[in-house]
Amino acid sequence: MRCKLTSVAEAASLVQSGDRLAVGGSLLRRQPLALCRELVRREVRDLTLVSWASSLATDLLVGAGCVTAWEGIYVGMWWQGGAPNFRRAVETGHIDVTDYSESYLTARFRAAAMGLPFLPVRPIRGTTWTERDDIRTITDPYTGVELHTVPAATTASTILHAYAGDEFGNIVWPVHRDSDDIDLLMGAAANTLVVSVERVIPHSEVVRQPNLTYIPHTKVAAVCEAPFGAYPSSCDTVYDEDQAELAAWAQAGRADEDFAAYLERTISGPTDHAAYLDQVGRERLAALRVEATEGTR
Amino acid sequence: MTATRNELMVSAIASTLRDEELVFVGVGTSGRAFTLAVGIPLVAARLAQLAHAPALDIYWGNLLSPDLSESPTVLTQDAITRWPGAYAPADVGLKVDMLTRGEFDVSFESAAQVDRHGNLNITRIGTDALPTVRLVGTLAQPEHLAFVKRPIIVCDLSSRVFVESVDYITSFGFGDGTRTRASLGYDGGGPSLVITDHAVFDFGPEGRMRLRTLHPGVTVDDVQARMSFEPEIAEDLEQTPAPSADALRLIREQIDPSGALLRV
Repeated sequence: MRCKLTSVAEAASLVQSGDRLAVGGSLLRRQPLALCRELVRREVRDLTLVSWASSLATDLLVGAGCVTAWEGIYVGMWWQGGAPNFRRAVETGHIDVTDYSESYLTARFRAAAMGLPFLPVRPIRGTTWTERDDIRTITDPYTGVELHTVPAATTASTILHAYAGDEFGNIVWPVHRDSDDIDLLMGAAANTLVVSVERVIPHSEVVRQPNLTYIPHTKVAAVCEAPFGAYPSSCDTVYDEDQAELAAWAQAGRADEDFAAYLERTISGPTDHAAYLDQVGRERLAALRVEATEGTR
Repeated sequence: MTATRNELMVSAIASTLRDEELVFVGVGTSGRAFTLAVGIPLVAARLAQLAHAPALDIYWGNLLSPDLSESPTVLTQDAITRWPGAYAPADVGLKVDMLTRGEFDVSFESAAQVDRHGNLNITRIGTDALPTVRLVGTLAQPEHLAFVKRPIIVCDLSSRVFVESVDYITSFGFGDGTRTRASLGYDGGGPSLVITDHAVFDFGPEGRMRLRTLHPGVTVDDVQARMSFEPEIAEDLEQTPAPSADALRLIREQIDPSGALLRV
Protein backbone atom coordinates (compact mmCIF):
# COMPACT_ATOMS: atom_id res chain seq x y z
CA MET A 1 0.00 0.00 0.00
CA ARG A 2 1.10 3.55 -0.63
CA CYS A 3 -0.60 6.87 -0.08
CA LYS A 4 -2.87 7.78 -3.01
CA LEU A 5 -4.52 10.77 -1.40
CA THR A 6 -4.56 13.83 -3.68
CA SER A 7 -6.53 17.03 -4.14
CA VAL A 8 -9.77 16.83 -6.11
CA ALA A 9 -8.12 18.63 -9.02
CA GLU A 10 -5.11 16.28 -9.06
CA ALA A 11 -7.35 13.23 -8.93
CA ALA A 12 -9.50 14.51 -11.79
CA SER A 13 -6.39 15.22 -13.86
CA LEU A 14 -6.05 11.47 -14.44
CA VAL A 15 -9.02 11.72 -16.80
CA GLN A 16 -7.90 12.81 -20.27
CA SER A 17 -9.62 14.25 -23.30
CA GLY A 18 -10.74 11.45 -25.61
CA ASP A 19 -11.18 8.94 -22.77
CA ARG A 20 -13.95 6.40 -22.59
CA LEU A 21 -15.00 7.31 -19.05
CA ALA A 22 -17.20 5.24 -16.75
CA VAL A 23 -19.26 7.51 -14.49
CA GLY A 24 -20.63 6.06 -11.26
CA GLY A 25 -23.67 6.68 -9.10
CA SER A 26 -27.28 6.00 -9.92
CA LEU A 27 -30.22 8.33 -10.44
CA LEU A 28 -29.84 11.20 -7.95
CA ARG A 29 -27.36 9.31 -5.75
CA ARG A 30 -23.58 9.73 -5.59
CA GLN A 31 -23.10 11.54 -8.87
CA PRO A 32 -19.33 12.27 -8.90
CA LEU A 33 -19.88 15.98 -9.39
CA ALA A 34 -16.85 17.43 -7.58
CA LEU A 35 -14.68 15.43 -10.01
CA CYS A 36 -16.89 16.40 -12.98
CA ARG A 37 -16.59 20.11 -12.15
CA GLU A 38 -12.80 19.77 -12.34
CA LEU A 39 -13.13 18.16 -15.77
CA VAL A 40 -15.24 21.12 -16.85
CA ARG A 41 -12.69 23.61 -15.40
CA ARG A 42 -9.94 21.86 -17.38
CA GLU A 43 -12.06 21.89 -20.55
CA VAL A 44 -11.66 18.16 -21.12
CA ARG A 45 -13.15 17.23 -24.50
CA ASP A 46 -14.33 14.27 -26.61
CA LEU A 47 -15.29 11.97 -23.75
CA THR A 48 -17.34 8.85 -24.36
CA LEU A 49 -19.33 8.31 -21.17
CA VAL A 50 -20.48 4.90 -20.00
CA SER A 51 -23.06 4.95 -17.21
CA TRP A 52 -25.70 3.06 -15.30
CA ALA A 53 -28.73 5.29 -14.52
CA SER A 54 -27.01 8.67 -14.76
CA SER A 55 -28.38 12.11 -14.02
CA LEU A 56 -26.41 15.23 -13.13
CA ALA A 57 -22.91 13.97 -13.97
CA THR A 58 -23.82 13.16 -17.56
CA ASP A 59 -25.99 16.27 -17.91
CA LEU A 60 -23.20 18.50 -16.60
CA LEU A 61 -20.45 17.07 -18.79
CA VAL A 62 -22.70 17.16 -21.86
CA GLY A 63 -23.87 20.70 -21.06
CA ALA A 64 -20.25 21.84 -20.74
CA GLY A 65 -19.30 20.42 -24.12
CA CYS A 66 -17.01 17.66 -22.76
CA VAL A 67 -18.85 14.73 -24.36
CA THR A 68 -19.20 13.34 -27.87
CA ALA A 69 -20.89 10.01 -27.07
CA TRP A 70 -22.77 8.21 -24.31
CA GLU A 71 -23.48 4.51 -23.69
CA GLY A 72 -25.78 3.25 -20.95
CA ILE A 73 -29.21 2.41 -19.59
CA TYR A 74 -30.68 5.79 -18.62
CA VAL A 75 -30.05 9.50 -18.42
CA GLY A 76 -32.63 11.65 -16.65
CA MET A 77 -33.25 13.66 -13.52
CA TRP A 78 -35.59 11.12 -11.91
CA TRP A 79 -38.19 13.01 -9.83
CA GLN A 80 -37.25 16.16 -11.75
CA GLY A 81 -37.96 14.81 -15.26
CA GLY A 82 -35.57 14.73 -18.21
CA ALA A 83 -31.88 15.69 -18.17
CA PRO A 84 -32.17 18.97 -20.09
CA ASN A 85 -28.68 19.38 -21.58
CA PHE A 86 -28.39 15.70 -22.49
CA ARG A 87 -31.80 15.75 -24.16
CA ARG A 88 -31.04 18.82 -26.20
CA ALA A 89 -27.62 17.53 -27.28
CA VAL A 90 -29.17 14.26 -28.49
CA GLU A 91 -32.10 16.00 -30.18
CA THR A 92 -29.77 18.38 -32.06
CA GLY A 93 -27.38 15.59 -33.08
CA HIS A 94 -24.45 16.87 -31.00
CA ILE A 95 -23.77 13.57 -29.24
CA ASP A 96 -24.16 9.93 -30.21
CA VAL A 97 -26.08 7.61 -27.91
CA THR A 98 -25.86 3.83 -27.67
CA ASP A 99 -28.60 2.32 -25.53
CA TYR A 100 -28.11 -0.89 -23.57
CA SER A 101 -30.62 -2.51 -21.25
CA GLU A 102 -29.58 -3.47 -17.73
CA SER A 103 -28.56 -7.09 -18.38
CA TYR A 104 -26.56 -6.10 -21.46
CA LEU A 105 -24.72 -3.30 -19.64
CA THR A 106 -23.93 -5.38 -16.54
CA ALA A 107 -22.53 -8.05 -18.88
CA ARG A 108 -20.30 -5.42 -20.50
CA PHE A 109 -18.85 -4.42 -17.11
CA ARG A 110 -18.64 -8.03 -15.90
CA ALA A 111 -16.64 -8.91 -19.03
CA ALA A 112 -14.24 -6.05 -18.33
CA ALA A 113 -13.99 -7.08 -14.67
CA MET A 114 -13.21 -10.68 -15.69
CA GLY A 115 -10.60 -9.69 -18.24
CA LEU A 116 -12.73 -11.06 -21.07
CA PRO A 117 -13.26 -9.35 -24.44
CA PHE A 118 -17.01 -10.07 -24.45
CA LEU A 119 -19.73 -12.02 -22.70
CA PRO A 120 -22.84 -13.79 -23.94
CA VAL A 121 -26.24 -12.65 -22.69
CA ARG A 122 -29.74 -14.08 -22.87
CA PRO A 123 -30.92 -12.51 -26.13
CA ILE A 124 -33.62 -9.83 -26.13
CA ARG A 125 -34.58 -10.08 -29.78
CA GLY A 126 -36.91 -7.94 -31.83
CA THR A 127 -36.00 -4.58 -30.28
CA THR A 128 -34.53 -1.61 -32.14
CA TRP A 129 -31.47 -1.34 -29.89
CA THR A 130 -30.36 -4.96 -30.26
CA GLU A 131 -30.30 -4.64 -34.06
CA ARG A 132 -26.90 -3.03 -33.96
CA ASP A 133 -23.40 -4.03 -35.04
CA ASP A 134 -21.90 -4.19 -31.54
CA ILE A 135 -24.47 -6.78 -30.50
CA ARG A 136 -23.61 -10.07 -32.19
CA THR A 137 -24.57 -13.70 -31.89
CA ILE A 138 -22.69 -16.75 -30.69
CA THR A 139 -23.67 -20.39 -30.57
CA ASP A 140 -23.44 -22.11 -27.20
CA PRO A 141 -20.90 -24.90 -27.92
CA TYR A 142 -22.64 -27.15 -25.36
CA THR A 143 -26.27 -26.88 -26.42
CA GLY A 144 -26.25 -25.20 -29.83
CA VAL A 145 -28.48 -22.39 -28.54
CA GLU A 146 -27.86 -18.95 -30.07
CA LEU A 147 -27.05 -16.11 -27.68
CA HIS A 148 -26.23 -12.43 -28.05
CA THR A 149 -22.80 -11.09 -27.13
CA VAL A 150 -21.75 -7.67 -25.88
CA PRO A 151 -18.25 -6.19 -25.89
CA ALA A 152 -16.47 -5.57 -22.59
CA ALA A 153 -16.93 -2.04 -21.20
CA THR A 154 -13.25 -1.28 -21.55
CA THR A 155 -12.66 2.21 -20.23
CA ALA A 156 -9.61 4.46 -20.01
CA SER A 157 -10.83 5.96 -16.75
CA THR A 158 -13.57 5.62 -14.15
CA ILE A 159 -14.87 8.22 -11.67
CA LEU A 160 -16.90 7.32 -8.58
CA HIS A 161 -18.10 9.24 -5.55
CA ALA A 162 -18.12 7.21 -2.34
CA TYR A 163 -18.93 7.41 1.35
CA ALA A 164 -15.46 7.06 2.92
CA GLY A 165 -11.98 5.76 2.28
CA ASP A 166 -8.49 5.71 3.71
CA GLU A 167 -5.37 7.40 2.33
CA PHE A 168 -4.38 4.21 0.51
CA GLY A 169 -7.61 4.13 -1.47
CA ASN A 170 -9.56 1.45 0.38
CA ILE A 171 -13.13 2.56 -0.30
CA VAL A 172 -15.78 1.58 2.25
CA TRP A 173 -19.53 1.70 2.36
CA PRO A 174 -21.76 1.90 5.41
CA VAL A 175 -23.66 -1.19 6.56
CA HIS A 176 -26.94 0.46 5.63
CA ARG A 177 -27.12 2.26 2.28
CA ASP A 178 -29.00 2.45 -1.00
CA SER A 179 -27.30 -0.21 -3.10
CA ASP A 180 -29.17 0.38 -6.36
CA ASP A 181 -26.09 1.08 -8.52
CA ILE A 182 -23.14 -0.75 -10.11
CA ASP A 183 -20.24 1.19 -8.54
CA LEU A 184 -18.88 -2.08 -7.12
CA LEU A 185 -18.78 -3.60 -10.61
CA MET A 186 -17.42 -0.41 -12.22
CA GLY A 187 -14.59 -0.47 -9.66
CA ALA A 188 -13.76 -4.08 -10.48
CA ALA A 189 -13.81 -3.31 -14.22
CA ALA A 190 -11.77 -0.09 -14.00
CA ASN A 191 -8.35 0.65 -15.45
CA THR A 192 -7.56 4.14 -14.12
CA LEU A 193 -9.93 4.48 -11.15
CA VAL A 194 -10.45 7.85 -9.48
CA VAL A 195 -12.60 8.02 -6.33
CA SER A 196 -13.77 11.01 -4.34
CA VAL A 197 -15.00 10.29 -0.80
CA GLU A 198 -17.15 12.21 1.62
CA ARG A 199 -14.47 11.78 4.28
CA VAL A 200 -11.04 10.26 4.61
CA ILE A 201 -10.91 7.88 7.56
CA PRO A 202 -7.92 6.32 9.36
CA HIS A 203 -6.70 3.01 7.97
CA SER A 204 -7.19 1.60 11.49
CA GLU A 205 -10.96 2.06 11.02
CA VAL A 206 -10.91 0.20 7.72
CA VAL A 207 -9.07 -2.86 9.02
CA ARG A 208 -11.66 -3.49 11.72
CA GLN A 209 -14.34 -4.33 9.11
CA PRO A 210 -12.59 -5.26 5.85
CA ASN A 211 -15.81 -6.69 4.43
CA LEU A 212 -17.12 -3.11 4.16
CA THR A 213 -14.33 -2.28 1.71
CA TYR A 214 -16.05 -2.55 -1.66
CA ILE A 215 -13.10 -1.28 -3.68
CA PRO A 216 -9.58 -2.29 -2.57
CA HIS A 217 -6.62 0.08 -2.74
CA THR A 218 -5.00 -2.08 -5.42
CA LYS A 219 -7.66 -0.91 -7.89
CA VAL A 220 -7.47 2.79 -7.05
CA ALA A 221 -5.25 5.29 -8.88
CA ALA A 222 -6.19 8.32 -6.77
CA VAL A 223 -8.50 9.05 -3.85
CA CYS A 224 -9.52 12.55 -2.79
CA GLU A 225 -11.67 14.02 -0.05
CA ALA A 226 -14.70 15.90 -1.35
CA PRO A 227 -17.35 16.50 1.30
CA PHE A 228 -20.70 17.06 -0.45
CA GLY A 229 -18.89 15.78 -3.53
CA ALA A 230 -22.18 14.59 -5.02
CA TYR A 231 -24.04 17.87 -4.36
CA PRO A 232 -26.67 18.78 -5.54
CA SER A 233 -27.42 15.07 -5.87
CA SER A 234 -27.51 12.97 -2.69
CA CYS A 235 -25.05 10.73 -0.93
CA ASP A 236 -27.35 8.21 0.71
CA THR A 237 -27.00 8.06 4.50
CA VAL A 238 -25.02 11.35 4.46
CA TYR A 239 -27.22 14.01 2.78
CA ASP A 240 -30.29 14.28 0.58
CA GLU A 241 -30.46 15.92 -2.82
CA ASP A 242 -31.10 19.69 -2.91
CA GLN A 243 -34.54 20.01 -4.53
CA ALA A 244 -34.25 23.76 -5.07
CA GLU A 245 -30.88 23.44 -6.77
CA LEU A 246 -32.14 20.60 -8.98
CA ALA A 247 -35.02 22.83 -10.05
CA ALA A 248 -32.58 25.68 -10.78
CA TRP A 249 -30.43 23.27 -12.82
CA ALA A 250 -33.46 22.01 -14.76
CA GLN A 251 -34.48 25.60 -15.49
CA ALA A 252 -30.98 26.72 -16.56
CA GLY A 253 -30.60 23.61 -18.70
CA ARG A 254 -33.47 24.61 -20.96
CA ALA A 255 -31.23 26.84 -23.11
CA ASP A 256 -27.52 26.72 -23.99
CA GLU A 257 -26.87 30.33 -22.96
CA ASP A 258 -28.65 29.91 -19.62
CA PHE A 259 -26.66 26.79 -18.79
CA ALA A 260 -23.44 28.52 -19.86
CA ALA A 261 -24.27 31.22 -17.32
CA TYR A 262 -24.98 28.54 -14.71
CA LEU A 263 -21.57 26.97 -15.41
CA GLU A 264 -19.88 30.36 -15.28
CA ARG A 265 -21.38 31.05 -11.85
CA THR A 266 -20.94 27.60 -10.28
CA ILE A 267 -17.74 26.31 -11.90
CA SER A 268 -15.68 29.12 -13.40
CA GLY A 269 -16.38 31.41 -10.44
CA PRO A 270 -15.25 29.21 -7.54
CA THR A 271 -11.64 28.09 -8.04
CA ASP A 272 -12.02 24.70 -6.36
CA HIS A 273 -14.45 22.40 -4.57
CA ALA A 274 -14.13 24.17 -1.20
CA ALA A 275 -14.84 27.53 -2.83
CA TYR A 276 -17.87 26.02 -4.54
CA LEU A 277 -19.23 24.75 -1.22
CA ASP A 278 -18.70 28.22 0.25
CA GLN A 279 -20.66 29.68 -2.63
CA VAL A 280 -23.53 27.23 -2.09
CA GLY A 281 -23.48 28.12 1.61
CA ARG A 282 -22.45 25.92 4.52
CA GLU A 283 -25.80 26.35 6.29
CA ARG A 284 -27.71 25.32 3.21
CA LEU A 285 -25.55 22.20 2.94
CA ALA A 286 -25.88 21.37 6.62
CA ALA A 287 -29.67 21.42 6.28
CA LEU A 288 -29.44 18.55 3.77
CA ARG A 289 -27.67 16.22 6.20
CA VAL A 290 -29.54 13.09 7.23
CA GLU A 291 -29.05 11.33 10.50
CA ALA A 292 -27.09 8.12 10.11
CA THR A 293 -29.26 5.86 12.21
CA GLU A 294 -29.71 2.21 11.45
CA GLY A 295 -32.96 0.67 10.28
CA THR A 296 -35.32 3.50 11.16
CA ARG A 297 -37.76 5.33 8.98
CA MET B 1 -68.80 3.79 -1.87
CA THR B 2 -67.94 4.65 -5.47
CA ALA B 3 -64.50 3.68 -6.67
CA THR B 4 -62.26 6.31 -8.19
CA ARG B 5 -60.56 5.73 -11.53
CA ASN B 6 -57.31 4.86 -9.73
CA GLU B 7 -59.08 2.41 -7.40
CA LEU B 8 -60.65 0.66 -10.40
CA MET B 9 -57.18 0.30 -11.92
CA VAL B 10 -55.81 -1.01 -8.61
CA SER B 11 -58.59 -3.55 -8.28
CA ALA B 12 -58.25 -4.76 -11.89
CA ILE B 13 -54.57 -5.46 -11.24
CA ALA B 14 -54.92 -6.93 -7.76
CA SER B 15 -57.40 -9.55 -8.92
CA THR B 16 -54.77 -11.02 -11.28
CA LEU B 17 -52.00 -11.39 -8.65
CA ARG B 18 -51.68 -14.81 -7.03
CA ASP B 19 -50.27 -16.12 -3.79
CA GLU B 20 -46.50 -16.73 -3.70
CA GLU B 21 -45.88 -14.83 -6.92
CA LEU B 22 -43.02 -12.34 -7.24
CA VAL B 23 -43.91 -8.93 -8.67
CA PHE B 24 -41.63 -6.02 -9.59
CA VAL B 25 -42.58 -2.38 -8.91
CA GLY B 26 -40.37 0.57 -9.87
CA VAL B 27 -39.47 3.59 -7.72
CA GLY B 28 -39.30 6.66 -9.93
CA THR B 29 -40.74 9.80 -11.46
CA SER B 30 -43.34 12.20 -10.09
CA GLY B 31 -46.90 13.42 -10.51
CA ARG B 32 -49.28 11.32 -12.59
CA ALA B 33 -46.38 9.28 -13.96
CA PHE B 34 -45.55 8.29 -10.35
CA THR B 35 -49.13 7.21 -9.70
CA LEU B 36 -49.08 5.02 -12.83
CA ALA B 37 -45.60 3.53 -12.41
CA VAL B 38 -45.41 3.21 -8.62
CA GLY B 39 -48.59 4.19 -6.79
CA ILE B 40 -51.18 2.01 -8.53
CA PRO B 41 -48.93 -1.09 -8.78
CA LEU B 42 -47.80 -0.81 -5.15
CA VAL B 43 -51.34 -0.40 -3.80
CA ALA B 44 -52.54 -3.26 -6.03
CA ALA B 45 -49.82 -5.62 -4.81
CA ARG B 46 -50.48 -4.67 -1.19
CA LEU B 47 -54.23 -5.11 -1.69
CA ALA B 48 -53.63 -8.58 -3.12
CA GLN B 49 -51.47 -9.44 -0.08
CA LEU B 50 -54.15 -8.32 2.34
CA ALA B 51 -57.13 -9.72 0.43
CA HIS B 52 -56.15 -13.06 -1.09
CA ALA B 53 -52.40 -13.53 -1.64
CA PRO B 54 -50.66 -13.23 1.75
CA ALA B 55 -47.38 -14.71 0.46
CA LEU B 56 -47.20 -12.48 -2.64
CA ASP B 57 -43.68 -11.04 -2.77
CA ILE B 58 -42.96 -7.50 -3.92
CA TYR B 59 -39.59 -6.33 -5.28
CA TRP B 60 -39.71 -2.53 -5.02
CA GLY B 61 -36.81 -0.84 -6.78
CA ASN B 62 -33.87 -2.68 -5.28
CA LEU B 63 -35.71 -3.80 -2.14
CA LEU B 64 -37.32 -7.24 -1.83
CA SER B 65 -40.30 -7.59 0.51
CA PRO B 66 -40.51 -3.96 1.66
CA ASP B 67 -42.43 -3.38 4.87
CA LEU B 68 -45.65 -1.79 3.59
CA SER B 69 -47.49 -1.79 6.91
CA GLU B 70 -47.11 1.99 6.76
CA SER B 71 -47.77 3.85 3.54
CA PRO B 72 -44.94 5.94 2.09
CA THR B 73 -45.85 9.62 2.45
CA VAL B 74 -42.66 11.43 1.46
CA LEU B 75 -40.19 9.61 -0.76
CA THR B 76 -36.94 11.48 -0.31
CA GLN B 77 -33.70 9.61 -0.97
CA ASP B 78 -33.27 9.09 2.75
CA ALA B 79 -36.75 7.61 3.16
CA ILE B 80 -35.97 5.11 0.38
CA THR B 81 -32.52 4.34 1.83
CA ARG B 82 -34.01 3.48 5.20
CA TRP B 83 -37.13 1.65 4.04
CA PRO B 84 -37.23 -1.70 5.89
CA GLY B 85 -37.19 -4.82 3.75
CA ALA B 86 -35.84 -8.37 3.46
CA TYR B 87 -33.09 -7.99 0.84
CA ALA B 88 -31.23 -5.33 -1.12
CA PRO B 89 -28.31 -6.82 -3.07
CA ALA B 90 -24.95 -5.05 -2.84
CA ASP B 91 -24.65 -5.44 -6.60
CA VAL B 92 -27.87 -4.60 -8.43
CA GLY B 93 -26.68 -6.97 -11.17
CA LEU B 94 -27.98 -9.77 -8.95
CA LYS B 95 -31.51 -8.40 -9.33
CA VAL B 96 -30.97 -8.20 -13.09
CA ASP B 97 -29.95 -11.88 -12.99
CA MET B 98 -33.26 -12.72 -11.30
CA LEU B 99 -34.99 -11.03 -14.23
CA THR B 100 -33.10 -12.81 -16.99
CA ARG B 101 -33.52 -16.15 -15.21
CA GLY B 102 -37.28 -15.63 -15.40
CA GLU B 103 -37.87 -15.49 -11.64
CA PHE B 104 -40.43 -12.64 -11.79
CA ASP B 105 -44.10 -13.39 -12.42
CA VAL B 106 -45.43 -9.87 -12.91
CA SER B 107 -43.94 -6.43 -13.65
CA PHE B 108 -45.50 -3.03 -14.30
CA GLU B 109 -44.67 -0.90 -17.31
CA SER B 110 -45.21 2.70 -18.34
CA ALA B 111 -44.18 4.06 -21.72
CA ALA B 112 -44.30 7.14 -23.92
CA GLN B 113 -45.64 4.94 -26.74
CA VAL B 114 -47.51 1.62 -26.67
CA ASP B 115 -48.53 0.03 -29.94
CA ARG B 116 -51.15 -2.42 -31.18
CA HIS B 117 -48.83 -5.34 -30.52
CA GLY B 118 -47.76 -4.26 -27.05
CA ASN B 119 -44.31 -3.07 -28.07
CA LEU B 120 -43.11 -0.25 -25.79
CA ASN B 121 -40.99 2.86 -26.40
CA ILE B 122 -39.15 4.71 -23.63
CA THR B 123 -36.11 5.62 -25.75
CA ARG B 124 -36.94 8.23 -28.38
CA ILE B 125 -39.70 9.77 -30.52
CA GLY B 126 -38.74 10.39 -34.16
CA THR B 127 -35.91 8.82 -36.13
CA ASP B 128 -32.48 7.67 -35.01
CA ALA B 129 -30.86 10.27 -37.27
CA LEU B 130 -32.67 13.10 -35.53
CA PRO B 131 -34.92 12.20 -32.64
CA THR B 132 -37.53 14.86 -31.98
CA VAL B 133 -37.74 13.83 -28.34
CA ARG B 134 -35.06 11.94 -26.46
CA LEU B 135 -36.60 9.87 -23.67
CA VAL B 136 -34.91 8.15 -20.72
CA GLY B 137 -33.28 5.14 -22.43
CA THR B 138 -34.10 1.52 -21.64
CA LEU B 139 -33.59 0.64 -17.94
CA ALA B 140 -34.66 -3.01 -17.48
CA GLN B 141 -37.91 -2.70 -19.38
CA PRO B 142 -36.60 -4.83 -22.29
CA GLU B 143 -35.87 -7.62 -19.78
CA HIS B 144 -39.34 -7.28 -18.29
CA LEU B 145 -41.09 -7.83 -21.61
CA ALA B 146 -38.64 -10.56 -22.60
CA PHE B 147 -38.45 -12.64 -19.42
CA VAL B 148 -41.24 -11.75 -16.94
CA LYS B 149 -44.20 -14.10 -17.17
CA ARG B 150 -47.08 -11.56 -17.17
CA PRO B 151 -45.98 -7.92 -17.52
CA ILE B 152 -48.81 -5.42 -17.01
CA ILE B 153 -48.81 -2.10 -18.89
CA VAL B 154 -50.26 0.78 -16.83
CA CYS B 155 -50.89 3.93 -18.91
CA ASP B 156 -53.58 6.59 -19.29
CA LEU B 157 -55.43 6.22 -22.57
CA SER B 158 -54.26 8.85 -25.09
CA SER B 159 -53.90 8.84 -28.87
CA ARG B 160 -50.33 10.15 -28.48
CA VAL B 161 -49.40 7.12 -26.37
CA PHE B 162 -51.49 4.38 -28.03
CA VAL B 163 -50.05 4.41 -31.55
CA GLU B 164 -50.22 1.96 -34.47
CA SER B 165 -46.44 1.33 -34.36
CA VAL B 166 -43.94 2.66 -31.84
CA ASP B 167 -41.14 4.84 -33.29
CA TYR B 168 -38.56 2.72 -31.46
CA ILE B 169 -38.99 -0.75 -29.98
CA THR B 170 -37.33 -0.45 -26.57
CA SER B 171 -39.18 -3.52 -25.35
CA PHE B 172 -40.58 -6.24 -27.57
CA GLY B 173 -44.20 -7.22 -26.95
CA PHE B 174 -45.75 -9.24 -29.74
CA GLY B 175 -43.80 -7.75 -32.68
CA ASP B 176 -45.72 -6.81 -35.78
CA GLY B 177 -47.65 -9.98 -36.56
CA THR B 178 -44.82 -11.41 -38.70
CA ARG B 179 -42.08 -11.54 -36.08
CA THR B 180 -43.78 -13.46 -33.30
CA ARG B 181 -42.41 -14.20 -29.85
CA ALA B 182 -42.09 -17.88 -30.69
CA SER B 183 -40.18 -17.17 -33.92
CA LEU B 184 -37.69 -15.03 -31.94
CA GLY B 185 -37.14 -17.77 -29.39
CA TYR B 186 -39.09 -16.33 -26.46
CA ASP B 187 -40.56 -18.84 -24.05
CA GLY B 188 -44.01 -17.36 -23.41
CA GLY B 189 -44.23 -14.03 -21.62
CA GLY B 190 -45.11 -10.75 -23.27
CA PRO B 191 -47.55 -8.13 -21.99
CA SER B 192 -50.60 -9.70 -20.38
CA LEU B 193 -52.82 -6.70 -19.68
CA VAL B 194 -53.07 -3.00 -20.40
CA ILE B 195 -54.68 -1.16 -17.50
CA THR B 196 -55.83 2.38 -18.38
CA ASP B 197 -57.95 5.13 -16.85
CA HIS B 198 -60.82 4.25 -19.22
CA ALA B 199 -60.65 0.54 -19.93
CA VAL B 200 -58.72 -2.70 -19.59
CA PHE B 201 -57.21 -4.55 -22.57
CA ASP B 202 -55.55 -7.90 -23.05
CA PHE B 203 -53.93 -9.37 -26.17
CA GLY B 204 -55.66 -11.78 -28.57
CA PRO B 205 -54.12 -14.99 -29.90
CA GLU B 206 -52.43 -13.02 -32.72
CA GLY B 207 -50.85 -10.67 -30.19
CA ARG B 208 -53.12 -7.73 -30.98
CA MET B 209 -54.49 -5.45 -28.27
CA ARG B 210 -58.09 -6.35 -27.38
CA LEU B 211 -60.60 -4.26 -25.43
CA ARG B 212 -61.66 -6.45 -22.51
CA THR B 213 -63.61 -4.27 -20.04
CA LEU B 214 -64.87 -0.68 -19.95
CA HIS B 215 -64.77 1.36 -16.76
CA PRO B 216 -68.25 2.46 -15.56
CA GLY B 217 -69.70 5.23 -17.75
CA VAL B 218 -67.15 4.73 -20.55
CA THR B 219 -68.25 3.76 -24.10
CA VAL B 220 -66.36 2.03 -26.89
CA ASP B 221 -66.42 5.36 -28.76
CA ASP B 222 -64.80 7.11 -25.79
CA VAL B 223 -62.02 4.53 -25.86
CA GLN B 224 -61.55 4.68 -29.62
CA ALA B 225 -61.35 8.48 -29.53
CA ARG B 226 -58.31 8.14 -27.27
CA MET B 227 -56.39 5.66 -29.43
CA SER B 228 -54.55 6.01 -32.76
CA PHE B 229 -55.47 2.46 -33.80
CA GLU B 230 -58.58 0.33 -33.59
CA PRO B 231 -58.19 -2.36 -30.96
CA GLU B 232 -59.89 -5.72 -31.28
CA ILE B 233 -62.99 -5.89 -29.13
CA ALA B 234 -63.73 -8.92 -26.98
CA GLU B 235 -66.99 -10.68 -27.85
CA ASP B 236 -67.88 -10.74 -24.18
CA LEU B 237 -66.98 -7.08 -23.56
CA GLU B 238 -67.96 -6.26 -20.00
CA GLN B 239 -67.72 -3.53 -17.43
CA THR B 240 -64.58 -3.38 -15.30
CA PRO B 241 -65.61 -4.99 -11.98
CA ALA B 242 -65.97 -2.45 -9.19
CA PRO B 243 -63.79 -3.10 -6.16
CA SER B 244 -65.67 -4.52 -3.19
CA ALA B 245 -66.46 -2.35 -0.18
CA ASP B 246 -63.83 -4.34 1.74
CA ALA B 247 -61.20 -3.61 -0.92
CA LEU B 248 -62.03 0.10 -0.93
CA ARG B 249 -61.82 0.22 2.86
CA LEU B 250 -58.42 -1.50 2.77
CA ILE B 251 -57.11 0.92 0.13
CA ARG B 252 -58.39 4.07 1.86
CA GLU B 253 -57.92 3.22 5.52
CA GLN B 254 -55.02 0.80 5.64
CA ILE B 255 -52.87 0.85 2.50
CA ASP B 256 -52.81 4.50 1.44
CA PRO B 257 -54.54 6.61 4.10
CA SER B 258 -52.44 9.69 3.26
CA GLY B 259 -53.30 9.41 -0.43
CA ALA B 260 -49.62 9.73 -1.34
CA LEU B 261 -49.80 6.80 -3.76
CA LEU B 262 -53.12 7.46 -5.50
CA ARG B 263 -53.72 11.21 -5.06
CA VAL B 264 -52.89 12.33 -8.61
